[in-house]
Amino acid sequence: MLFQLEDVTKTYGPVTALNQLSVAVPTGAIGLLGPNGSGKTTMIRALLGLIALESGSGSVLGMDIGRRQLDIRRDVGFAPEDECLFPHVVGIGFVAYAGELVGMRRTDALQRAHEVLDYVGLGEARYRKVESYSTGMKQRLKLASAIVHDPKLLVLDEPTNGMDPAGRQEVLDLTRDLAHNKGMSVLFSSHLLPDVEFVCDYVIVLGAGRLLAEGKIQELKQVHYQSFEVRLKADMGPFARRLAAVGCSVAEREDVLVVGIPDGQSPRLLWEAAAGEGEQIRYLRPQRSTLEEVFLDAVNNTGERG
Amino acid sequence: MPIFDQGYQHWSGQLAGHAWRWLAITRHGLRVALAGRATRLMLFVAVLPALLLAFVLAMWGLLEQKSDLITAIMPMMGFLDPAILAGPRPYRVEIWTISYSYFLRTETWLAMVLILFIGPNLISQDLRYNALPLYFSRPLRRIDYVLGKLGVIVALLGSVIIVPAIAAYALGIVFSLDITILRDTVRILLASVAYGVVISISAGLLILALSSLSRNSRYVALFWIGMWFVTSSVAGVLEAVNVEQRVHDAVRAATAGEAPSDEQAAAERDWRPLVSYTANLRHIGECMLGTDKAWEKLIKLQPKNTRQMSRLVVLGSQTPWYWSVAVLAALMVFSICILNFRIKSLDRLK
Repeated sequence: MLFQLEDVTKTYGPVTALNQLSVAVPTGAIGLLGPNGSGKTTMIRALLGLIALESGSGSVLGMDIGRRQLDIRRDVGFAPEDECLFPHVVGIGFVAYAGELVGMRRTDALQRAHEVLDYVGLGEARYRKVESYSTGMKQRLKLASAIVHDPKLLVLDEPTNGMDPAGRQEVLDLTRDLAHNKGMSVLFSSHLLPDVEFVCDYVIVLGAGRLLAEGKIQELKQVHYQSFEVRLKADMGPFARRLAAVGCSVAEREDVLVVGIPDGQSPRLLWEAAAGEGEQIRYLRPQRSTLEEVFLDAVNNTGERG
Repeated sequence: MPIFDQGYQHWSGQLAGHAWRWLAITRHGLRVALAGRATRLMLFVAVLPALLLAFVLAMWGLLEQKSDLITAIMPMMGFLDPAILAGPRPYRVEIWTISYSYFLRTETWLAMVLILFIGPNLISQDLRYNALPLYFSRPLRRIDYVLGKLGVIVALLGSVIIVPAIAAYALGIVFSLDITILRDTVRILLASVAYGVVISISAGLLILALSSLSRNSRYVALFWIGMWFVTSSVAGVLEAVNVEQRVHDAVRAATAGEAPSDEQAAAERDWRPLVSYTANLRHIGECMLGTDKAWEKLIKLQPKNTRQMSRLVVLGSQTPWYWSVAVLAALMVFSICILNFRIKSLDRLK
């Protein structure tokens, strides 16, 4: 188990940031999703033992978050969301200092800083003052300083915020490589669903401080065997009307029709309708939920319950 | 598939425990501070008084031995009383005490300047560049952070006050060639080291508190100058007004045929020197060294009619030492409260 929380509640004055949150997450690449104010950052702070909880308990890497905060922070690498720098140092000094703060010896930290700066692609800029770095370079610098001590768990809070597409892809590639090829567990908090989907295998969806959904992304993106995406060679209008006439639900999405066939019917209905209109079916596959749909469903269901 | 992956490599070294984690902050702070040419120059200047102290103690050692080496410069030592020149050993403690007193007084002033160079950046720059999340997301507590920053001040002030004081002491011992000097003067060494610690911690906490109040280190420097110069100036003005008043009262009492007021008691009750931060520091230093007692012994060598004037010139504030300690302690508590309020861990950061 990577981490678990049980009945965790945290309030800031009248605002309940975490509301009896219980979650247990396996090792691997974990995406943390949720709208603004859903409690993502508070959950990260709870995991790092940075906040006092009103109630509940939990552990990270088998260590109690109430008693072993410093040990947890030693074994975890964290890159905060905000732009933050150790001032007046060059890149190599920045990363080495981050290593020293975790407890590395100066010589080890320097050697390791060179390695991780090369890894994140900042090798050429290692002797430049960090104040002169671009936004993308600063994000990669934060990533380098978070992994300098080779943590067991890397926590990234909105790591692609404010980055251009190329820089964003570089950070995603690095994070994915760490999670999938280097055996490092990653907790990746982001608003950007494609980013989470690219990096993570497992996702947690938070809303109003509660757990809305969790599971492996591939399982959450379930296949709907009574719903199909269909594309024809020619005009889809008559085909759609014919399907509607036999009781199918039909919706047009971009260049495909999403057809829901009635219970008890088979996809044969689609072939028969196409044959009846003299059309060729060029594309047909069972509909699969996107991560966006999973997220929106989870959030909307909570809204309805609320 | 590459034969050797030059990408990410795992690291299997040992991490140190938590107890000395603050030392990493101190080391980093020193590296940043010493990267500035102005700071290095200031450190060099601050060490110069120690060279003078060492020279004086060495000369005194030679004088005690009546060494031939000192004969050549004897005419230049006319400022010393002939009784001292004739038999220097009984005045050993007094001369050492007064030498250290001048040294520490000078270093107090230089320490204020040195802090002006290095202190303002210590926390204000971290606030400006939002570095606190980087610290507190690592295995550090707020106390580690403050200790680490305080360590920068203590290390630099220690290097210009404590280390030179010890080095000069060792040199003085070497030149005296008399083992009894250790017994006579070890108290001076301990007082100097203790005073160095007091000034480092007091001034360190104060500049850290000021540094945490603004993201702009120029403002912090102005706060510090205000704390140093303005309080000294205000204390000076208040004391001048007080002296004027006492003279006026004395003249009035003499005219009216009344008994003169007790000047010593009035001096002991005078709270005005307490307004100055540096005067409080100096007063504690003088009390630790026992400077007034040393001066009293030397003043007794002078003609009776000049003794009172000499006392006025050389003796420091007559207020009880614990008043100054109370003022400094209150300032330190206030500084700690400010630091506690301003240095927020991540649970209180945005």
